[in-house]
Amino acid sequence: MASIINSISFKNFFNYYGDFEDNTYKLEEGINIIVADNGAGKSKFFNAFLWLFYDQILDSDTKQKINIKNAGVKIISDKAKNETAVNDYLTCGVCVEYTSGTRYKYQIIKSFTATRLDENITDENSWQFVMNELEVNRTELVLHKYKPVYDENEKKKIIDKLIMPAFRQYSFLQGEEVDDIIDFSKKESIEKAVENLTDIKKYEQIHKLLEEFKEKAFKDVQKQIKANDSQNERFNNAVEEKEKIEQALEQEQLKLKQFNETLANAEAEKNELDKLYANAEKRKEFDDKLKPLRKRLREKQEEFETFLDRINNRFFDGNFAWIALGFEQEVEKFRELNDEFIEKRYEKKALKNVEENPNEYFHFLPENSPDSVSLQNMIDDEHCYVCNREAKEGTPEYKNLVKLKNRTKDKQSEKPFVKNDLKNFFGDLQINAQPFYNKLDGIKDSIIKTKEKEVELKDSIERLKKRIKSLEDDRNSIMIAGHDQDQSAKDVISSYNGAVRRISSAENKINDIIIPKINQLKKDLKLINEEVKSLNKSNNIPDGYNENYEVLSDLEEAASKAKDKVFDGMINLLEEHANIHFKNLIKNNDLSGGILKFEKNPNGSINFNYLDSKGNSVYGSSEGFQRMKKFSVVMAIISANNAEYNYPLLADAPISAFGEGFTEGFFEAIGDVFPQSIVLVKELYKQEDDMKINELGKRLLKDERVKTMYVNHVPENAEQIELVTTKTKLK
Amino acid sequence: MTAQEFRNNILVKKPRYAKSKIPVIEAFANKGQSKSEYSQFGPIYELYIYAFRLGLKKGLKLPLPPRNSTKDFVEIGKWKRDSSLVDFLLMIVFSHSEEIGFDWNDLEDMDEKELNVVVSNIVEFIESYANGGLQYLQEEWENDNLINSSYLFVDLMNE
Repeated sequence: MASIINSISFKNFFNYYGDFEDNTYKLEEGINIIVADNGAGKSKFFNAFLWLFYDQILDSDTKQKINIKNAGVKIISDKAKNETAVNDYLTCGVCVEYTSGTRYKYQIIKSFTATRLDENITDENSWQFVMNELEVNRTELVLHKYKPVYDENEKKKIIDKLIMPAFRQYSFLQGEEVDDIIDFSKKESIEKAVENLTDIKKYEQIHKLLEEFKEKAFKDVQKQIKANDSQNERFNNAVEEKEKIEQALEQEQLKLKQFNETLANAEAEKNELDKLYANAEKRKEFDDKLKPLRKRLREKQEEFETFLDRINNRFFDGNFAWIALGFEQEVEKFRELNDEFIEKRYEKKALKNVEENPNEYFHFLPENSPDSVSLQNMIDDEHCYVCNREAKEGTPEYKNLVKLKNRTKDKQSEKPFVKNDLKNFFGDLQINAQPFYNKLDGIKDSIIKTKEKEVELKDSIERLKKRIKSLEDDRNSIMIAGHDQDQSAKDVISSYNGAVRRISSAENKINDIIIPKINQLKKDLKLINEEVKSLNKSNNIPDGYNENYEVLSDLEEAASKAKDKVFDGMINLLEEHANIHFKNLIKNNDLSGGILKFEKNPNGSINFNYLDSKGNSVYGSSEGFQRMKKFSVVMAIISANNAEYNYPLLADAPISAFGEGFTEGFFEAIGDVFPQSIVLVKELYKQEDDMKINELGKRLLKDERVKTMYVNHVPENAEQIELVTTKTKLK
Repeated sequence: MTAQEFRNNILVKKPRYAKSKIPVIEAFANKGQSKSEYSQFGPIYELYIYAFRLGLKKGLKLPLPPRNSTKDFVEIGKWKRDSSLVDFLLMIVFSHSEEIGFDWNDLEDMDEKELNVVVSNIVEFIESYANGGLQYLQEEWENDNLINSSYLFVDLMNE
């Protein structure tokens, strides 16, 4: 009778702004996928279940779980807060509907009311919170109207039935949480799983009882012997010897216990460091990526600032000359005036020249033509080569040649014809101001281009910010709550190696010294028991006592073996299942086929290793890989269970640390194990795609095991108070 | 007087602004100091030239108040040195010779005294329109009509 979640709805819960009906996700038996980029409501969705089951939410800033009562203003939609008038109130809540079996359907609503007290919206003190009563409704599937459940115990039962508390740890996965479900260094953790899966507890109880009975039977035998008159010294000696061996055994067992503790601690440390080690590496990877990006962002922002600061420089910078905009007429006018000025000026000069030297003023040859060398030749040869005529010295033709040759000199000796010669003043203005008026036609374009450049800079800053935010989110998602993230990778590695060394030395001590000694003592004990027994027989005590003791000894041994067998059997079964899941998970990856191996430690804890194809343990592999291993075991615990697993899997980005190959394997594997899976995932998101999902997302969309698929959206670059998550149902 | 001497006569002039415009100058020209909430020019002459352009294009001619109520600043020759800016500015000014009241060719025949009057008129011409432009800016600013953007002055020029 599986529990299937039919829908989950939100009301003003984080970005899920609006009423329940605006934010309802209909879900079905099988795989349900909600694709959302960072910040698009993925963790918030998951938080709804945390609220439902534990009255908690996970604070994404601190990575700590906090009680809903203390979460207050943080979890309400900012838009809703902003739209609530002072003294008015709003409701924030989550609502889940689920079916259990074929008869009943339930609705669970948790909510609170917040009244706004003043203008400030983000201040905790500006709101008054009242938790609303837990609302649980029930209906028969054939009916449609819910009826409220009033009994508090009944309400609790209905919530528990959705996912039983003992199984929530396997059903409820949030990123690194997988790591904490099973801690293989702790004996209890795997024992607990075995306990959940087998009746081993009963065997343990039987074994304990039988041990006590055996002890008692031996004492009875002893009493009988002592009562017997023949004080057999040899018997007493044998018993003494037996007690000595027992004491030695006890001591050795104590030693064993101590070394086991050392071993367990070292293993716990190593396992912890496995996580951190992988984490530290992964973090460093992100930091390495983030550092240059942050630097680039800083540079771009500075460039942008400088750019904005310098926009006004473009008015006066000759390369832009914006100040010239609109001065077309003036420039034209200046040219006209200058032409006029020069014309008038020449007229003035000409008039003056003509007045002084009317015959010499007009000539029609351009300056420097003919050139002075040619003219000199013509004078020397007394011949004009321009008209090819004679120009004998003394003739007007000859004089004209001489005059032409001297015209530059004449000019230099020209007398000023105005008081103030301003020709160059205006001419220079016109030449020098060129950079400004030459730009006139292009200024409008230049302004547009500047604006474009601004947009371009802004865009590249936004792109950088987005990329950084995404990397930071990814980096945050691998942070493990409660661990010292600042421990340096070097420290982690050296501690890791230390732990591995201590494990090996404790193992040597236990396996090479203590255990052989204990085995020897046990053998001795058995022999001395035989001796005592045979001495007993000669002591002539009633048969019943000896038989009773013997039978109980055998039973105790059998119970102990049976218990071990059940335990070992389950471990083997888990190993088998874990390997099946593991193979499925990695089948799309490039990993060469190794196997997961469960090995029993002397202290009873289970060593869980990945052996490569040559049988060597692989240590310190990536975080994703570690998680993959553990996830296989989680699924093994569920699938090794004889009964069907009846609860949904709720997973928030459990795959963020893995590659695409694993993601694909993950979806295939969960379909086989969980009757219903609700998976919130970022990895399938693709901003540029029309449907906003990547190729794998599209393949999954076509997969018949996937029953529903949603994509969450948030407006780009929205202000916090405008941030609203909307969704598209793709399937 | 040579062309260079005439030019120098203009360049040594220190145009003046009305003391009433000091707030608007402080708001829009940072003179290399800290930023204000508005987009700003650097040195005063930048704002001054801009205001002159604004006044001229909008036909806002506003003579300066009496000398005691005015203040001068750096001489024109030091406005954006090694640049063509001043040449361009003078080009604009001389294209308005009719309005200022002289003829280019006449300048060449004037004696020094007459020329100095023309130079004074030129400076007054610049001052009046700059003052008009500053007045306009001040009013827009006081009436909260200025949209604070990096393109404030570009947009204002297009209006």
